Amino acid sequence: MQSESEISTALAEDTFLADDLLRQLMGVGEVDLLVGMFSQGNGNTASHALHAIERSFQQYFTRQRAVIVNVCGGDKNEGDAAAAGLSPLAEKNVRLPELPSLRTVQKVTADFSVPPSPGMALRTILAAAGLLRSRACAVVSPGTTNLTPDWIANLLTPVYREKFDFVAPLYTRHKFQGLLARNLLYPMSRAIFGCRIRELYSEEWGFSGRLAAVCLNQDVWHEEPIRTRPEAWMAISAISSDFRCCQVFRGQKLQSATGSGTDLVAIFRQTVGNLFWCIESQQSAWLDCDRSESVHTFGPDHELTSEPTALNRHRIFEMFRTGVTELEPILSSILDPETHAEIKSIASGEEGKFRLRSDLWVRTVYDFAASYHHAAINRDHLVQALAPLYRGMTFSFLVEHSDSSPAEMEAVSERLCVEFERQKPYLREKWKAKVEVKS
Amino acid sequence: MKQTILQGLELAYTNLVRMIADFLPRFLVMLIIIVLGFLVAFALKHILRSVLGLTKLDRVSEEAGASRILRIAHLPSMTVLLSRSIFWVTWLGFILIGLGVLGVAGLQGQISRLFQFLPEVLVGILILFLGLMTANFLSRTALLAAVNAGYPSPRLLSWSIRFVIWILAISMTLEELGVARQTVISAFSIIFGALMLGLAIAFGLGGQDLARKSLERYLGNTDKEKDKEPQPL
Repeated sequence: MQSESEISTALAEDTFLADDLLRQLMGVGEVDLLVGMFSQGNGNTASHALHAIERSFQQYFTRQRAVIVNVCGGDKNEGDAAAAGLSPLAEKNVRLPELPSLRTVQKVTADFSVPPSPGMALRTILAAAGLLRSRACAVVSPGTTNLTPDWIANLLTPVYREKFDFVAPLYTRHKFQGLLARNLLYPMSRAIFGCRIRELYSEEWGFSGRLAAVCLNQDVWHEEPIRTRPEAWMAISAISSDFRCCQVFRGQKLQSATGSGTDLVAIFRQTVGNLFWCIESQQSAWLDCDRSESVHTFGPDHELTSEPTALNRHRIFEMFRTGVTELEPILSSILDPETHAEIKSIASGEEGKFRLRSDLWVRTVYDFAASYHHAAINRDHLVQALAPLYRGMTFSFLVEHSDSSPAEMEAVSERLCVEFERQKPYLREKWKAKVEVKS
Repeated sequence: MKQTILQGLELAYTNLVRMIADFLPRFLVMLIIIVLGFLVAFALKHILRSVLGLTKLDRVSEEAGASRILRIAHLPSMTVLLSRSIFWVTWLGFILIGLGVLGVAGLQGQISRLFQFLPEVLVGILILFLGLMTANFLSRTALLAAVNAGYPSPRLLSWSIRFVIWILAISMTLEELGVARQTVISAFSIIFGALMLGLAIAFGLGGQDLARKSLERYLGNTDKEKDKEPQPL
């Protein structure tokens, strides 16, 4: 058991934790399991998530010492909602009568006076995990409305019982949902970091105490990409440091209205910008490495549905074409001249005959990544400039796969991943090239 | 007669010798100051270049779009430009101090006036440069935002922003230099006011639909738009 003085010594270094939170953590002692959640903006669904976590502990981890860490702040309503579901230490002794748990679920609230960033929320959860010496941890999103005890157990079990260090979720998707992940984030991260984790940007994942300690000690917490979207960085840190990673199939994920919408530019900033930043900050891990390893998956590794959806393909194509035309001076300073010429050529063609070949798409993305590294233009502008080209890829994908079966789509996605891997030397060459100043 | 001529020549010679004797040390002092100034300026140039190299100013300048402006104007990189500027400003200062030592009548006044004007010129250059840089950055921001939001004529919007900031920067520079101060302020007010009024009228009368769509978008009536693109994540 960790002594109180030992905790106090450790706490003295973690000055970003508030006194009230430290007091609560000291009262909890050592735990086996920790589930953290960031209830910012999800006050209405937070209590549902808390009940699911409690039930999960009481149903699946009857003998383990467990704690819930809820990070919230700045919103009075959320505070009230949290008070309803997650009480402070004095009111924490809740045991659901019909469940066979032998332990009391401890609860800790990290209440910030101003809304903390997702990065700050994760840092708080990692610090709590470190101080409480938790062996298995998970982060869940209260925005997920169909959060179940099974699902939380699925995130914790591979870490607690199978000794994995990072657990990524896998979701059932509509075949036209998650195209940014399918056509860019997954294949690029797989080609570069050599690990086939499909969902780098999910709001739920599991991790070991060891990984939490490694991540907590990295000096990245003030970086903007970490402040806004820290989850992919944590996955990439696990891959780069040779931690054991796995995936768990979760099924369909239903999100509350406050979940991520379709502001493409905002999503690009948070994901593509974040991935480019991770690629740069972890360059020592991939520049001289060519591995591509599958990860252990619990359950199926993909599941697609194909209900009819109303998509305005024409508008998507027009936005691509306008982007290529209007952003020509910006694209010329990012793309290789040959790549740029090819894109201009296909954009000027007929909509009906338009196809964005996978090799051209891969070269485009790699040119963007290399230009991001060389800071060819302002990095935020660079990431935004990729959005119209992604729309071209989306249009091409929608046309090509309007009648494809899930198996056919999976085969095409696999070919795209292989193309990303095949062209990795191109990225490496561009990456290492001396900055050429283009006029 | 002969004696008088000889005396005159002797006096002229004596005066010349005295003048040379008086001027030569000053000239030597001037040369020493200029040479010393060159050495100081040279050292400052290299120190500044090393310091700016460490701070990665060129990368920041590239990101901010300042390097692009410099390239368009066929100027070297920001580090080289700043280090060369410090060299020339320092050396020019020493040269002017050296010339002041000569004590040439009239030159003193001109030099002191030049010294008084120099800070204004430097501030003017700085204002102009920052203005051009800001114009470049904001116009690109507007262009990208307009393209990604699907607004019509994004390049026109971008150029309008660039133009307005240019006008502002040029007006401020001229005002700093004291060139036709009243005229510049009046001209700027007229151009800026006319531009804004023109835009307001054009947007209000000619772009009612666009205004409605923009307001709908800003007020959150975007459900219809959301359905048109697949969820990226």
